[in-house]
Amino acid sequence: MSFPSDASVLEPVQQIVEAIGRSADVEEDELSSLSVAVVELVKNAMEHGNQNDPDKMVKVSFNIFPNRIRFMIDDEGTWEPEKALGFNPGEGDELLSTRGRGILIARNLAKWVEFGLTPEGRTRVTLIWPLT
Amino acid sequence: MKIKEEMKGDILVIAFSGKVIGGPELVEVKEAFQRAVDQGCRKVLLDLGKVSWMDSSGLGVIVSGHTTLSRAGGALKILNATKKIHELFIITKLITIFETYTDEQEALDSFGA
Repeated sequence: MSFPSDASVLEPVQQIVEAIGRSADVEEDELSSLSVAVVELVKNAMEHGNQNDPDKMVKVSFNIFPNRIRFMIDDEGTWEPEKALGFNPGEGDELLSTRGRGILIARNLAKWVEFGLTPEGRTRVTLIWPLT
Repeated sequence: MKIKEEMKGDILVIAFSGKVIGGPELVEVKEAFQRAVDQGCRKVLLDLGKVSWMDSSGLGVIVSGHTTLSRAGGALKILNATKKIHELFIITKLITIFETYTDEQEALDSFGA
């Protein structure tokens, strides 16, 4: 699935992710945590990878395995999250930052979030959600 | 997302409902906090009990409200954060900043006279 880098797609993304989770028997109580984690990564891809340019797309793909769901979020940039964010929200003075908590939240809600590159050299975030 | 505002004594109670997912509607929320300060209100209680979904965008606007109120000598407190929202406050350590309540009267009383 590909989405333009526009905030209007976030709610459809949230709904689709929860539908995927439901189809994989993710517990109802955990569906919103799953969708928050993925939506946070999609928003980061839009902002840092695609500079919120609606002509640039964010691709979301997924695989359901017997014990996990794997989401991959690809943008059109080559950003490095720690450098792009440049601070650690939740610590010191930055506790009161109004932004920059997306990756922190995704990494805490999901069991595995990894940043890498696609074969074409674009940023790819992989999120693993274990199935119990 | 819907926003409802109600004065209870000298305390402004702002209630969000629905999904807090980012976009232009959050500007409206920031404006509500600023408007409260501009109108002399220094005590704001934010009721999150009817929020079905929220991510970091919602947290950002709440932090913005906290800063707006604090700079004016006021306070923003949280009422009825759901289990999932409470979890976000813990992950981001914002739980160390905000007073949170599950009982509205207790929350209102906490502002004092």
